[in-house]
Order: sequence, then structure tokens, then C-alpha cells
Amino acid sequence: MDFSLSNEQRHWQMTARKFADEEIRPISLERDAIAEPRETFDWDIIKKGSKLGFRTMAVPKEWGGQGTDFVTQALVMTELARGDSAISKTFSQNWKWSHLISATCTEEQKERFLRPFVEDDTFLLGKGISEPSAGSDNRLPPADDPKAGLKLRAERQGDEWILNGEKCFIANAPVGKLFFIDARTNPNVSLREGTTMFLVPSDTPGFRIGKVFNKNGWRFYQNGEMIFENARVPHANVVGQVNASDVKSKLAGDRSGGDLFGDLELAANALGVCLEACDQAMRHARTAKQGGKILFEQQLVQLKLNKMHMLTEALRSFVMRVAWEHDQKLNSNCAGLAMNFSSDVIHEVTELNLEIHGAFGGVVNKAVEKLVRDALIWTHLAGDNVQRMKAARRLGR
Amino acid sequence: MYSLELSPEQIEIRDTIRDLVAREIKPFTLQSARLEAGDRRLPMHLLDQASQMGLRALALSEAGGGAGVDNLTCCIVTEELATGDPDIAAVLSHTATLAHVLFDRLMSAEQRSRFLPAFLADDRCHLALADLEPDSDQALGVNYHRPETSHPALRTTAARDGDSWIINGVKTCAPNAPIGGLFAVQVQTPGTRGPSTLLVPAKSKGLTVKEPDQARRWYHGACGDVSFDNVRVPAANLLGPEGESTLSSTVASHATPQLAALNLGIGRAACEAALDYAQLRVQGGRRIVEHQAIGTKLAEVAIKLEVTRAMIWQAAWASDHPEAQASRSLSDLPLATMAQAFAAETIYAATKQAVECFGAMSVMRDMPLQKHVHDALICLHAGTGTSDAKLRIAEALASYRRPSTMLAAE
Repeated sequence: MDFSLSNEQRHWQMTARKFADEEIRPISLERDAIAEPRETFDWDIIKKGSKLGFRTMAVPKEWGGQGTDFVTQALVMTELARGDSAISKTFSQNWKWSHLISATCTEEQKERFLRPFVEDDTFLLGKGISEPSAGSDNRLPPADDPKAGLKLRAERQGDEWILNGEKCFIANAPVGKLFFIDARTNPNVSLREGTTMFLVPSDTPGFRIGKVFNKNGWRFYQNGEMIFENARVPHANVVGQVNASDVKSKLAGDRSGGDLFGDLELAANALGVCLEACDQAMRHARTAKQGGKILFEQQLVQLKLNKMHMLTEALRSFVMRVAWEHDQKLNSNCAGLAMNFSSDVIHEVTELNLEIHGAFGGVVNKAVEKLVRDALIWTHLAGDNVQRMKAARRLGR
Repeated sequence: MYSLELSPEQIEIRDTIRDLVAREIKPFTLQSARLEAGDRRLPMHLLDQASQMGLRALALSEAGGGAGVDNLTCCIVTEELATGDPDIAAVLSHTATLAHVLFDRLMSAEQRSRFLPAFLADDRCHLALADLEPDSDQALGVNYHRPETSHPALRTTAARDGDSWIINGVKTCAPNAPIGGLFAVQVQTPGTRGPSTLLVPAKSKGLTVKEPDQARRWYHGACGDVSFDNVRVPAANLLGPEGESTLSSTVASHATPQLAALNLGIGRAACEAALDYAQLRVQGGRRIVEHQAIGTKLAEVAIKLEVTRAMIWQAAWASDHPEAQASRSLSDLPLATMAQAFAAETIYAATKQAVECFGAMSVMRDMPLQKHVHDALICLHAGTGTSDAKLRIAEALASYRRPSTMLAAE
């Protein structure tokens, strides 16, 4: 067993830590405090991070990206999330889908989409799955029920597909230039058998962004509604095969039986938030006083600090193990479990940090309180019943 | 004999408030635009309406012109109001409690004749307690099971000048301060050990109130910092004997069960929303309430609410019947502090479970769920927090006798 990092991995970790300390954390609270959800975004930080390679971490080197392994990706997501969880997620959201382009798209598609993505510091990616009446049904489709799941319709007309319907809660929708869109190409069969994935550029005729959602946490991270009114997408933009949208896991070499990168991403990001919470709590405990003594001297404070660090270090071990297993191309069901665990841990650790700080007299530390709001995002993304049952079903296969 | 059967009057009051919440309060306070903007300005028209129904004077004796209900009934009302809006519940609970403590118990007949008619006549006259001072250390913490080496005197002072008191100092986070008509102010007078209370009309010259930042508030109701710059009040405004004020502890013994009831109302709002939604939303081919995972979650939330209510009612009933603890019918532990600490932790957990039913909508600002979680979090960190409350309870368990009563549990 060897827990040491290579020089290259260590270098990426340090670069990300420096960027988080010097560029991300200084803008985190001011971005979080902006009331209008469209205004929280900052292209400056995206451009600066992109120039350091944080937008293209998962693109293979031969296509001009960084071609990093999962361990490096986990390290970087964690470090960026120490500065701001939502800014880290805005970068890593691109890795998920750039990985998909390089693993599943044709050479012609890569020329049209991957190359401009790599070259443009403001080119962001997203994926549209959820719809108003299809959330859990997409994650865990009921067997053989063609009515369940997404409804966005795609119908073939010559060399084009005509898309009609809407998506909601789509990450990067208001800022992205290219989206992977799951649409029903056969409404009479189950989701798995009747869905096709399309590459949809943001300037596609008939396609527009609707409402931008006003989230209580992860405020920097843009999330919007997508509206398709006779949107015309060329047949050449079909990813993989028609009626086979669930291509990513197998073709991308995912051996987790689920959504490896998505699971690892949430767990690694949570780790960054937990590390930040531990730092805040320790700093406060060693400086703030009660009854004339620093808080750190109190048993209750020590017990809380112990629990925060215990859970955070357990999460770190789990995240790094999952990343390493997949770099070794091992078959493992652990990614989903690590993501579920990260939801429990990020809640408890950020709440303990708030407990140590307190909110006496209606005054709360805004940096501390923000972590609790960001952590609540994990409830539905990483720790809901469906995500837990999915992880269990993989084990039971 | 302990009975859980409410009187017809109590049930009628509860139903009246429940109706007010459904018809008037929720449609206003839970509007998407208001939620989205985090607009927590007090809905004065609803507070006026509640006052006209007698809620401002709920605990004030009938002889004094109020409804004269017991603390259990106050808890029932506070829980119901908080299902619609914890801020309305907090303002009314504070005014009603102070009305009972000040007018029924602590004021002289002369003081009552000066202040009570004005209070009764004006629906906008709320009562405020100015006690807490900036940067004061209120926690038990390191002093657990140790006598305090020194309890610092209040820095807000009152000096005698002929037939007047001159007050100087600053109070922080005083409940109801921005809408207070009459303040009860805790002051230090020269030559006395303990605090004294002075009655100070809001319009006194030199008294100013500053409201804290309204964005993402961390308190319920109204709250403000109060400055006293040579504020002059008549000598006759001294409440009770100089240097021996019992106001803060008397208010706390009444208010603590109601704060727990307010917290319970927040949990109920989340639970009711989740149950409604679980019976509408279809995923996996059936309404989500029909899935084991969601059904069990809702059951756990319901258990938490019922156990919390049982603790609150017991604590409220004990405060209404001190003889029950004296006769050893009820435990002599600090039941109100225990109920509040239990409610704070239990309701936060229940609220989080309830909102899990809503998926991504649980974090959207235009939906009520994130507000319920935030409201439960405010209760979890109210005062010096639950960890500190447990230290006070532990001292009571071990019958630790604290020389000063300032840090004792209720």
C-alpha cells in the first residue's frame, strides 16, 4: 500500500490550493451575498482558472487538455472547493462532459466540439436530464414503465431532429455553450430503450434558457431551465447510437457500475468543504474566548473538533481510494457509497463548525453559515433515498 | 391529576389561530416573491389583526384587560402561529409574556395605572426587554460546575438625579425593540450588587433603536440594538426594589416553553408541506408517500413532533402548576430548558428529513422549504446553544448549587 502522491499530482494539488487561497476564497462571500441569481457568476475567475488548466483537466493531452488521472482530479476538486464549493463545481462540471466527448464522440464531433472547447476559456459544458415531472424517475427508472422519466421529445425530420419540451435544474445552463441533452426518441418503450443523447449548442434555433433558479446554497453555480420549441439539431450531433443514451458508463471505461465521475466529484468537493470547516473551527477555537479562556480548552469543543476531523479524514481516505481504484482500472462499487457518505459527513461537519462558532445575539459568521447552506445541496444530489438505493442495487447485482 | 384533554376554550383558541394561519398568514408570508427576496420585514397588518383578536394580551390577566390564559395555552397558540410565520409568533409571544410579568406581577398599582391603559389602547404597542449587552459572555461553558469568579456588572447604568433616573449605555439584540412602545431596561445603579429594572417609554429623549442587517436574519421576530444617551425617566419608573430585579428570570421561566413551541411550529410547517407534497408527487409509478423510503421518513418526522410536543406541554403545565413539582408529581429538573434543547435538536433533524421529500426544490429560495430549515437552524443556535443548555441541565441533575442564579437552567 502506498499513499504517496506523484510529483505531478502534488504539483496540481499545490497549484489548486494557491489558486483557491489567492483567487477563489477572496471573492467567495461577496459572490454568495448577491441576491440576483444571474449576477453571482464571475467570468474573470473562470478565465483565470481556465488558463491554469482547471477547465480542461479531463481532456486527453493529445486534444490539448491536461489528461489528468482520477486521483489528480479528486485532489484539485477538493482544493478548489476549500476556496468555494460552487466555483470548484463550475470547473469540474466541464470535466464530466469533456470526458464524455473524448470517450464517446466521433472524431468528426471532437473536431467540431472538443477543439473549440479546449481553445476557448469561456466555453462551458452542461448536461440536461431532469424535467419538472422527472427527477428520481431518471435516476432510478421504474422497470418497464414507458410513462416514467423524461418527456422531452425528439423526432427525426430528414437530416435533423426536432426537439420539443423542457428541462429544469440544469447546471451551467445559463452560461454553457454546449449541452448534452437526453431526449425521448421512442416514447413507447422504457427510458433506457427509448432515449437518445444529443449535442446541443447554446445557439441552436428554437432552444433557449428560461428561468435561472435561485438556490440557497452553491449560489455561484448557475442552474436554469431549458426550453425547446421546435429546436433543430443535426443528426450528426447524436452521441453514440439512437435509442441508447446510457452510453457514458461503458464507453467511458467506467467500472463503478454507475456514474463514476459524478459520484467522485461530489465526494471530493464535499471533502474540500469539510477541510475548510475544520480550518475555520480550529482557528476559532484557538482564538475566541469564553470565561477568559480560549474555547479550545473546553472538553465539549475538543469533542466537536475530534468528530469533525475524524469524519473528514475518513472521507478523505474514501475519496482517494475510489479515485485510485479507478485509475488502476479495478471494478468497484464504492464510488456511489463514497458520494452517499460525503452527504452525511458534509452535513455533520459544517453543522459542528457552526456549533463551535455559535450565533449568539443573532450574529453569525457568514463564512461559517455559507458552508452549511452549501452542504444542504448534497441532500438531493448525493444523499437522497434514490442515490442510496442505486448504490445498494449495484452491490446486489 | 395530569390530563392531556384540552378544555373547550383551548380547542377553540387553537382552531381560531389555525384558521387565521391558513387564511391570512401563510398566503402572505409564504408568497414566492417574499420568500425569494428573503423579505422578513414584519407584516404589521397581520400583527394588528392578531392584536385585535387579543393575542398581544393573551397572557395578561382578565382583571388587567387580557385573556388571562395559562402558559400551556400560550404554547398552543405560539405553535400554531409559528406554522405560518415564526416572526409573528415571536413578537406576540414576547409581548404577551412581558404583559403578564410586568402588569400582573411586578408593577405597583401606581405604575399599572400609568402604563396599562396606553398598552391596551394601541394595537401597535409592543413590549420590549432590553437586557443583553454587546460582547457579554452569557455562556456557562468554562464555569460548568465551578463558581463564577466574578460576574461582571451591567455596563448600562442608571444614576439618580433628583426625582429622575439618568440612563446611559447600549443593549444588543433586544427582542421587540424596533416596535417597542415600552421598554423594560436592566441597569446597574451605584452602590447595588444586582441589576435593577427601569420602565422606559420608547419615545423617551435619547433612546434610539438600530435594527440589524435584515438579509438572512438569525433571529425570530423583531430585534434591535438600543442606545441610551442620558435618557431621563421618573424615579417612580423603578420596577420593584433597587438592585434586586427578578425580571429576566421570571420572563425566562414563562418564555422558554413558548420558544420551544415556536420551534415545534416550524417543524410542523415542514412536516405538513412534506406530507401534502408526498401525496401529490408521482415518481416510480406511484405517489411518493407510497414508497417505503418516503413513508418511513414522514413517520420519523411525525414521531419527533409528537415527542417534542409532549415535552413542551409538560414543561408549560409545570410552569402553570408549581405545586406539581413541589409535591413530587413532576420531576424537579429544569423541564423548560430540557424541552427547549430537545426541541432545537429534534426539530432541526425533522425539518431536514421533511425537506428531503422535495428534491432540488428544497434548496430554492422561492420555495418555503429552505426557510423552514433556516428557521429551525436559528432555533438550534438561539441563546448560547444546546451544548450550553445541557451543561445547565447537568448541573441541575447533580444538584450543583450555583451562588449566582444568572446561569441556572429554568
